[in-house]
Amino acid sequence: MIHKRNIKQSILFAILLIILLASFVLGISIGAVSIPPSEVVKIIFSHIPGLDSYLTAGLLPEHETIIMTMRFPRVIIAALVGAGLALAGATFQGLFRNPMADPYVIGVSSGAALGAVCSILVQSLWDIPIRFGIPAFAFVFAVATIFLVYNLARVGGKVPVMTLLLSGIAVNSLLSALVSFCMFFSGNQLHKVVFWLLGGFSGRGWDYVYIFLPYGIVGSTVIFIYARELNAMLLGEEPAQHLGIEVEQVKRHLLIAAALLTGACVSVSGLIGFVGLVIPHIVRMLFGPDHRTLLPAVALIGAAFLLVADVLARVVIAPGELPVGIVTALVGGPFFIYLLRRQKNSMF
Amino acid sequence: MLFNILGVTCGYGASPVLQDASVQIHSRDFAGIVGPNGSGKSTLLRTISRVLQPLHGKVLLEEEDIYDIPASRLAKKMAVIPQEQGLNFPFTVRDVVMMGRIPHLKRFAKESLQDLEAVARAMELTDTDVLADRQVNELSGGEKQRVLLARALAQEPKILLLDEPTAYLDLNYQIEIMELLVRLRRDYGLTIVMVLHDINLASRYCDYLVVVKQGSIHAIGAPHQVITTNMIKEVYGCDVRVECSNSIERPYIVFNSEEILAAGKGRERWVHVVGGGGAGVLLFRNLLKSGWKVSTGVVNVGDSDWQEACRLGVSIIEAPPFCSVGVDEVRRNREMMKKAEFIIMAGIPFGTGNLRNLECVLEEAEKGNPVIVVDNIDIGDRDYTGGRAAELYASLLKSGVHIVKSEWEAIHIMEGDEAKWHPEVS
Repeated sequence: MIHKRNIKQSILFAILLIILLASFVLGISIGAVSIPPSEVVKIIFSHIPGLDSYLTAGLLPEHETIIMTMRFPRVIIAALVGAGLALAGATFQGLFRNPMADPYVIGVSSGAALGAVCSILVQSLWDIPIRFGIPAFAFVFAVATIFLVYNLARVGGKVPVMTLLLSGIAVNSLLSALVSFCMFFSGNQLHKVVFWLLGGFSGRGWDYVYIFLPYGIVGSTVIFIYARELNAMLLGEEPAQHLGIEVEQVKRHLLIAAALLTGACVSVSGLIGFVGLVIPHIVRMLFGPDHRTLLPAVALIGAAFLLVADVLARVVIAPGELPVGIVTALVGGPFFIYLLRRQKNSMF
Repeated sequence: MLFNILGVTCGYGASPVLQDASVQIHSRDFAGIVGPNGSGKSTLLRTISRVLQPLHGKVLLEEEDIYDIPASRLAKKMAVIPQEQGLNFPFTVRDVVMMGRIPHLKRFAKESLQDLEAVARAMELTDTDVLADRQVNELSGGEKQRVLLARALAQEPKILLLDEPTAYLDLNYQIEIMELLVRLRRDYGLTIVMVLHDINLASRYCDYLVVVKQGSIHAIGAPHQVITTNMIKEVYGCDVRVECSNSIERPYIVFNSEEILAAGKGRERWVHVVGGGGAGVLLFRNLLKSGWKVSTGVVNVGDSDWQEACRLGVSIIEAPPFCSVGVDEVRRNREMMKKAEFIIMAGIPFGTGNLRNLECVLEEAEKGNPVIVVDNIDIGDRDYTGGRAAELYASLLKSGVHIVKSEWEAIHIMEGDEAKWHPEVS
């Protein structure tokens, strides 16, 4: 029985990988200048040392520039953010045993938003350009928010899930109000602020990949390490403790990891909704609740989903570009409702 | 000693739920924690299971403070089955039982053959192997309970703590789970500590009971030591009878019928029945119904009159089973007789064991106390002392006692009013 299940899951994973790679190529080839997928593959492979001498023949240098400096980093960052948000969402849902939880539930997002808005306003008010001001401010504010919420929720050395959720909601609304306040006084910067808040990947180059990577790697590694603990904690914190898990410690590590990951995602891409809430649910329907398979699958599907959403964002009103957050909700929402209607008895 | 709970005060927030509780639990004990709702019995279990840190005092497990033991090491020694089942996610039964192996697994280690065997054994013992591929969120309460037990057994613990394991179960499963726990203790040397709502179930299966009342330990002892009418009255505030039909060590409680309770109000007239061998049964019932306060003695523990007296709440002067009536019992019996308004000598058989009862009655009769002798069976047919009893009996009949031919007649005399008398044949 176990054997059969493993085979089925291996096949599913293989399909997911193929889908992810296909969306990579698709994401790179589609755009204002259309580049055929075969050429995309060739250009990418030509940058692998040892293969370059065989593949460089017949490639257009301007295509190579477009791909290597603009589109490639952009799809990479979209995939990373998709994976990161979905992982963080799955972690929060498991940790809180609550299907409504998403990466933004404990206020990290509004912290990051406030940071980004402050950065935009500071730069325009005093006319000082700050390199990577938005991601840096967003990230610092996000981390500060985590610590604020965590310490607010602490009761006698423990952090009960319920107080964590509630203090998260409280801080979230406070910070959102501050964001609105800043927007009210942002004058001609309003458009820039709104555009950032809606989320997107336009103009994100390799620098953003490098900004994201350290936190993304640390955060997701910690989450993967605790897959088994997350399973046990779905049964409740006390039962998990009786199975030998240091619940408070695991919870603290997972919270910080998921929040760091969320902070990194938000600071490079803005507020992209829906991915972190819905992808884990979709994957649970396919793979079941076991985090040891759920987490990798969530990361793969999250990445592929955001890649496709970004492609749509670029082509729907081309040559203009929609904020990707709008696309994720517009595409994902109906799909999720369809799944929900189909198996409404066991959501979580 | 396995657990040494030393003066533990424990609670949620500022107000302690449990005050200064001390209990010792030994290896292979089968201990039950009983008490009314909110008395702190679950709190006591949660303290032992290292969920709730005591405000004062400590819990030692094999001489080691339980808070100094890392969770993973503790989980290899002790498994806990909580009251809330929490199996709301579509894991399969096998997945959930496999989680019992978490304390034994190194991080990233795959389950070894040994782990699979432990899981298979745990599922077989609990009859959950047939459910292996079912999803736990779709199981019934009883099935979930067995899955939780299987998960606990997969931990291969030495200690099993259970918080009301039978709360969700039908009668047959309650017995099944308890019998399984008995077997686990016998075959694997498990120590079992459980919170139980059902005093009768606790009495039937536990070696001893810890009775918790309003946050402190009211009594600790074997079921027959702690389960008494008085204890139930004090701890639960209700009137019950304590019966012992199956086994003296394992009494059970029965709710008093309204009829006998009502008749018992305002009893002032006292009658002492010298009974034994079932001869007193009819007297007890009818005297109580007529509003008399009844005592009896000396009867042997386990005798049918003794059982009925227990059931009806009659005061008893008792001698150990199959033993002769001792000096001390005779003294107390005599005190009872002195206080009573009437003494009734039931038509009991006499042997060397209870001859002293006859002697006592004779003495009282000679002193002129009112004695009624129920002479319904010829003394020759119930004398097993080789004539000694018949001799005493003859003197008794001659000593100016009331001699009646039936229990009803005896009550006629006592009541002095025939209209009130409605005989009951039972």
